[in-house]
Amino acid sequence: MLNDFFILMKFELLPAVIFFVLLFIKVGTAELSNASIIRLANILLFINLVAGFFYNKDGGMFGDMFHTNALIVLQKSILNLGIFIVSLQAEAWLRTHKHVIEFYLLLLSSLMGMFFMISGANLLMFYLGLELATIPLAALANFDLEKRKSSEAAMKLIMSSAFSSGLLLFGISLMYGTTGTLGFAQLPALLNGSNLQVFAFVLLFAGFAFKISVVPFHLWTADVYEGAPVPVTSFLSVVSKGAFIFVFASVLYTVFKPLADTWYHMLFLLSVLTMVIGNLFALRQQNIKRMLAFSSIAQMGFILIGISGSSQAGTASAVYFVLVYVFTNLAAFGVVALVSAQTGKEDITDYKGFHATNPVLAWVLAIALFSLAGVPPTAGFFGKFFLIMAGAAKQNYWLITIAALNMIVSLYYYLNLVKALFMDANASPVPKITFGVYAKLAIVICIAGMVLSGLASVVYEYIYNLSTGF
Amino acid sequence: MSASVIIFYIIAAFILGTGILAVTTRKIFRAAIWLLFSLIGIAGLYFLLEMNFIAAVQIVVYVGGIVVLIIFSIFLTQKSGKEMQKPILVRQLFSAVATVIGFALVWLLISHNSFATNSTSIVDVNVANIGTQLLSTGEHGFILPFELVSILLLAAMIGCIVIAMKTKQEQL
Repeated sequence: MLNDFFILMKFELLPAVIFFVLLFIKVGTAELSNASIIRLANILLFINLVAGFFYNKDGGMFGDMFHTNALIVLQKSILNLGIFIVSLQAEAWLRTHKHVIEFYLLLLSSLMGMFFMISGANLLMFYLGLELATIPLAALANFDLEKRKSSEAAMKLIMSSAFSSGLLLFGISLMYGTTGTLGFAQLPALLNGSNLQVFAFVLLFAGFAFKISVVPFHLWTADVYEGAPVPVTSFLSVVSKGAFIFVFASVLYTVFKPLADTWYHMLFLLSVLTMVIGNLFALRQQNIKRMLAFSSIAQMGFILIGISGSSQAGTASAVYFVLVYVFTNLAAFGVVALVSAQTGKEDITDYKGFHATNPVLAWVLAIALFSLAGVPPTAGFFGKFFLIMAGAAKQNYWLITIAALNMIVSLYYYLNLVKALFMDANASPVPKITFGVYAKLAIVICIAGMVLSGLASVVYEYIYNLSTGF
Repeated sequence: MSASVIIFYIIAAFILGTGILAVTTRKIFRAAIWLLFSLIGIAGLYFLLEMNFIAAVQIVVYVGGIVVLIIFSIFLTQKSGKEMQKPILVRQLFSAVATVIGFALVWLLISHNSFATNSTSIVDVNVANIGTQLLSTGEHGFILPFELVSILLLAAMIGCIVIAMKTKQEQL
């Protein structure tokens, strides 16, 4: 029992241990410099990432409150990787920050919440995990303490997440009222598709849609992404969304399987709306963080297509895309974070002539943008390809056609930025950015991931074999 | 119509009435006080269901804790006595329409569909049982959510401290 406890809950216990180590350092008397705290935190997060690969076991604990299997382990490892890269990239910004330890404490508690949410087999655990994943992020969004926009972002994030929690809780309570249970194992047998249950499901669905910012629940996204510090934005857009997508796919496929016809139509409608509106708004953005925000909304539309396939390939393609998205989006945000930390420039026009002064960073950003747009041979192409193939299995060719058209639209704004980087002349370009060993490491991991996870087919096959569908 | 049904409707009307007043009054302090009455009404519903422990928790946590916190934060921020602006007519109209439609939807759904009746025998809900179940690790044990909530509170506290420290430094 005790052995099981440590092995099964390893992913949750390790962040908890790191959390308390850092907390004790904070309340202790030792005055550590920022550099040594960052070094320590990064080493601990690296250990956390590596430890996830060893001694894993399937099983459940605490009644039906907690369960884990090989796919969940993989999903948690992807999130661990994401938080490690975010932490590496945050170094440039954290170096002079007053509250470095608090940054890591909040980041780790949010990660713990995501893990409990992914592992929870009960609506109560799911809800608590979701709150633990979201509330610390609202405080993190406020971490540029002297900036007004940062406070505004935190306010908008906490308001919109409170609203979505309200919808979610109403849905959960109606669901409990009609079925009399909260357990994921018992729910499917009790779902009979009555109107009240469908209404409860719609509310639950809306709560999810808020978290992964699907249109029309996306209104908070751009403002929060713009106002929050860049490392927090990248955490929000990659790790947080990734976790919610994992849970979303698994909940739809297992718990709400009896309502599959209902949610297929909802996914169809929302994915079309999300792709079209996300792309159209991304076209007219001047701020690079806002542009990436709307592009990430559009990417969510593609993920919904993959999930709507409701097959083994559906799960696999969504998980694979999140893995690719971790590398791709973090590469893009990593460059933006460096530029923002050293010059404060965040407008697209500031990036004109970026290649002349910063050739390496310009190439990294360009590769990331190509991957986001889905240009082969980057991993982004394979990610989108698998998503659309999974969706095409339903033979709804309208959806696939709209998705293909949207990929062309998205090419315009991604390549527009690439053009600004390489071709446009600028009288006062961004000066030469110096970056330390942390940022270098993050860039190497991202580039290697973008190339290798696309070219090595073993990655997708591994995920596919772990996935389930119906 | 039995006495308990009549009492239920009286309490429900009380909750709804004070709830409506809480959201329509123009003074924020009064809204907090109306909210207090609405929450007491909900505690009354729990008493009616003979869930004494939950009713007591409702009063201690919501009435004694949360509303007091709300009142404190109202006093600490300015404008606590002033009337808030009237919302513009279009906004009032739209929110009225949304309320009516939302109410009608929920009403229709609930009147046409039944909730699951609890088939298992009524669990003994004395405090000792609740305490044991809250901290038991086995089937139907709630130790894991319990611990998760404590981490959530710790994280929220850290976040609050960081944000609140900011204003202090600005004043210095």
